[in-house]
Amino acid sequence: MVQFHEHIIIDLLEDSQGGLVILSAGLGLHKLIAALLHLHHPSQGSLLILSSSPSQKSSILQNYDSTLSSSSQSPQPSEITSDLPAHHRLSLYSSGGIFFITTRILIVDLLTHRLPTTSVAGVILLNAHSLSDTSTEAFIVRILRSSNRALFVRAFSDRPDAMVSGFAKAERTLKCLFLRKLHLWPRFQVYVSQDLERNPPEVVDIRVPMSPYMIEIQKAVIEVMDACLKEMRKTNKVDVEDLTVENGLFKSFDEIVRRQLDPIWHTLGKKTKQLVSDLKTLRKLLDYLVRYDAVNYLKYLDSLRASESFRSVWIFAESSYKIFDYAKKRVFRFGRLDGGKSAGQSKTATTKKRKLENSNREKEDSAASTDNSAVLQEVLEEPPKWKVLRDILHEIQQEREREFVSDKELITEDRGHNSGIVLVACKDEHSCMQLEDCMNKGSHKVMWEEWEKYLLSKVELQALPKRNKKKTKEPKGFGMLDGVIPSVSGQKVEISSISRQEHEALLAVASEISKKFEKNIVVEDNLQKSEGSGTHKRRRGKGKNKNTLTNGKSEKKAATSGKSEIHSSEDDNRKNQCISTDAGGFLEQPNEVASSEKWWLQKHGQGFHAELLDNNKQLPPVHFHALDTDQHILDILQPSVIVVYHPDMAFVREIEIYKAENPSKEVKVYFLFYEESTEVQKFEASIRRENGAFESLIRQKSLMMIPVDQDVSIGLDSSTEPESIISQNLLTRKAGGRKDAEKETQVIVDMREFMSSLPNVLYQKGMRIIPVTLEVGDYILSPLICVERKSIQDLFGSFASGRLYHQVEMMSRYYRIPVLLIEFSQDKSFSFQSASDIGDDVTPNNIISKLSLLALHFPRLRIVWSRSLHATAEIFASLKANQDEPDEAKAIRVGVPSEEGIVENDVRAENYNTAAVEFLRRLPGVTDSNYRAIMDACTSLAELALLPVERLAELMGGHKAAKSLRDFLDAKYPTLI
Amino acid sequence: FSAGAGIPSRNAILVSHRQKGNPLLKHIRNVRWSFADVVCDYSLGQTACALYLSLRYHLLHPDYLYYRIRELPKNFKLRVVLCHVDVEDVVKPLLEVTKTALLHDCTLLCGWSLEECGRYLETIKVYENKPADLIQGQMDSDYFSRLNHALTTVRHVNKTDVVTLGSTFGSLSNIMDASMEDLARCPGIGERKVKRLYDTFHEPFKRVV
Repeated sequence: MVQFHEHIIIDLLEDSQGGLVILSAGLGLHKLIAALLHLHHPSQGSLLILSSSPSQKSSILQNYDSTLSSSSQSPQPSEITSDLPAHHRLSLYSSGGIFFITTRILIVDLLTHRLPTTSVAGVILLNAHSLSDTSTEAFIVRILRSSNRALFVRAFSDRPDAMVSGFAKAERTLKCLFLRKLHLWPRFQVYVSQDLERNPPEVVDIRVPMSPYMIEIQKAVIEVMDACLKEMRKTNKVDVEDLTVENGLFKSFDEIVRRQLDPIWHTLGKKTKQLVSDLKTLRKLLDYLVRYDAVNYLKYLDSLRASESFRSVWIFAESSYKIFDYAKKRVFRFGRLDGGKSAGQSKTATTKKRKLENSNREKEDSAASTDNSAVLQEVLEEPPKWKVLRDILHEIQQEREREFVSDKELITEDRGHNSGIVLVACKDEHSCMQLEDCMNKGSHKVMWEEWEKYLLSKVELQALPKRNKKKTKEPKGFGMLDGVIPSVSGQKVEISSISRQEHEALLAVASEISKKFEKNIVVEDNLQKSEGSGTHKRRRGKGKNKNTLTNGKSEKKAATSGKSEIHSSEDDNRKNQCISTDAGGFLEQPNEVASSEKWWLQKHGQGFHAELLDNNKQLPPVHFHALDTDQHILDILQPSVIVVYHPDMAFVREIEIYKAENPSKEVKVYFLFYEESTEVQKFEASIRRENGAFESLIRQKSLMMIPVDQDVSIGLDSSTEPESIISQNLLTRKAGGRKDAEKETQVIVDMREFMSSLPNVLYQKGMRIIPVTLEVGDYILSPLICVERKSIQDLFGSFASGRLYHQVEMMSRYYRIPVLLIEFSQDKSFSFQSASDIGDDVTPNNIISKLSLLALHFPRLRIVWSRSLHATAEIFASLKANQDEPDEAKAIRVGVPSEEGIVENDVRAENYNTAAVEFLRRLPGVTDSNYRAIMDACTSLAELALLPVERLAELMGGHKAAKSLRDFLDAKYPTLI
Repeated sequence: FSAGAGIPSRNAILVSHRQKGNPLLKHIRNVRWSFADVVCDYSLGQTACALYLSLRYHLLHPDYLYYRIRELPKNFKLRVVLCHVDVEDVVKPLLEVTKTALLHDCTLLCGWSLEECGRYLETIKVYENKPADLIQGQMDSDYFSRLNHALTTVRHVNKTDVVTLGSTFGSLSNIMDASMEDLARCPGIGERKVKRLYDTFHEPFKRVV
């Protein structure tokens, strides 16, 4: 813990009610929380930690364990999940422990009175920036506060920029949590900067020039972006101020635009909407330019072109052509030759030039017919940073050797606490793996592999459908199956003769490589069979090849905990020896043998250890770390040299903290920037933005008006009714003050609806909320009235998917008054479309047509139009006025198939992998009547994918359905070039 | 005094004489209409009828809607209250209209312009005998659409990702069987998507212990 952390905690503890802490990104929030947890004592009651992301959770726990002192009384934090039975949860709540809990479980337990509010000492709330006064967290705090005034709420956020979006957000957040104190801890705060700058690490800033093509691509993307922005300004619908290319580099740009456009979104033309999404795509292109290698970049562009060609505006812009062109030139060059020779079959990885004949349409045979020869020359430009990284590593190693020679003893002594590991931090897992390969095998080889993979993905897709064609009798609806690409797929149409040749040349190269691979596979398979090793599943060539290539290096899966392994490098050597025997198989085994989940976590915990035993290469031990994983590994690894491969503000701060915590340790940091790239711009702008956010927060804080007595007003009420100020006011107007105690109105709410804010608002209106799992409807207002709630987005979506039809059908079957509630959002426009968008004719795709059709088919369906959440609550209250109260037990049973039995009153939705169920139901052949049987018979989708057609026929009650499913699963994805 | 008594053709909307002078009539262009002696404002065929109500009018005469609904004959299956939202502050009047319509067996449809209101009348008439295919979710049946449709159930997976996954793994069953590492190697598919995809395919359907 750094000193300023103590300051933060002392400040925070001053107010017994708690407070809201906003600190700069990367200032070790997890350490702060862990320290707070240590202060907890079971006698105070239990401590609940809300809305933490999984990575935050794990890093808090990790930190908690590592700082655990023997004298500490605080219990080990644990997690409350829906798997725990209700009574078990109850006993946990009253045990006084520390719990991570999701808002959905907590709110349900609160509403069903399973959680005694008095046993809660306080709440720690993370990610406070995502809070609003109608969110579930606010709902929870409201209920807890109303019956337990001693409770503290400590809210945290390390995203100041998100905290200033919207009007007076900090103040509103404070109010909805009933807090008064706002604590701001920017990086430029005196204590913080003192602590961090006392002992700064040694920094080497390396500006790497981009390759000429990269510069060109970047220029082109920015040009297109600029053009898009100009176009956007022309629409006169957005404020021009914020629309700059610099802002366009950030994700929050979308937010700015969306916030402005949302109120009028449904009145916007197609073009404007497309511009918004285009800008997003372009931002990604810029980002990937510096992150991906040339081949992957091209691959991504190919995918983009295939998926977007129709709708996008940008793809047809002048400069976009340049993007594609240069991206291609970074990978290969294409020319023509007269009188070509026959294709060389012996292609080793080192040949630079290939002469290929243009095989005719049937690419399968490379039997030569040389009418039209073309030269395809690989360029395979390496990302310039690769070389620099290698140079740095060499330099480090040389330096170490020099030191080693000069005084041996010092080094060995150092070894004790200095692992000597070089940490390379990149943005994502993908670059980690690639860089690791690079350092192991040499960058050239890596580029070749990527290239081969690229070609392979094209040729396999092209070739395989043909084999299938003979067997499958082309079921209806699979137009793509026979390998003929319909002329629809955009770029195909406009292929000129040159690009066609290029395309064919590509395919020719590709098919040869694929043949090579096929041979490899056969060899590999034989090998594997004879060895009887663990991996029997037939995989595609790519995977196999990987095996052969990895022979040289030893890839090690961390078998034990991170720490023990870092201590001893000799130990590592030994382990490596035994593990390297099956190193090849490692990549594939985990998904089959080990529980994959665990494997994933482990891998992320440790990253990869690429330890080079081979001294010839003279590289120090390197650890590659992906910043995306949000793991804090500095403390675990204790690196002495850190290479920041992709600059990231939060990570820089983490390094600073790491250094401040270990002042005696020498830390050297290398920054790798592409010179004059958007990467630098983005990094610098992110710091500017954060500072700006804090300045605005400081200003807001000085102007803030928080009523001192906000808690008292609940307090008055707390003994009798759990109600808020707002609901009281409303009731005053309506019923002249107090509400009759015996005529408490209640609403039965589906568990899934707790994702939305309506239950919260209903509660504020004084209704009792009964959370259950409903098969039919979302809200049950009375024995007669059942409501299906749809936001506008949902409405369009569920009309398209047919889900709405099904839901309304079910409601009409079981309830006298089925209601479709169409809920508009307060800050969006209250209308579907502008008058000009209606068009001249009745068209089937218009929402008017769909609604009319729905009304015609379900004349009993009542449609309720609500302006906002709060309007909905009023409508509910007035609809309930003369109705009986709904019956919970009955509502649960409605629509549940009898063979399932009665559902236990637990969180049933949590018990389903809803994404998987939805996925399953969208597969061809799967219907309402057979999907349950499928789910019973196989545990997961992965298992389903392996079932033979006969078994499927059994499950799906018909051979036809089974066949259409099987065919769909096995259909070869059509190729794209 | 029965609805639709008279000669007018079956393919026309019958408009009550009460509606004379309503600018809405200008916007009924795709269907023929004629004045007739009908109790409802618009008779949209044998089974459907509609009352027209402007919210502004409702504010002046809050009881109007109730009396009109009361005299509607019961023999229409679908009774529509077509509400023209022509005031700024909608919450209170709309609540009243909603309640009246709901408790008296009427379906409320809202239009924000006369064009929109007119289109509702036209559509209901035109679709009088149309099957519900359109809203039953029959989507395009070609391979791309179906694959998109299925894979995009996984949150944050977009069409570009579908193309990437498809071209990397070759077939859906290969995608479903891919390891986390293989998924992570696809350009454009980040940490979170990998996890979501993998969980969707490998977590059991039922989480029951």
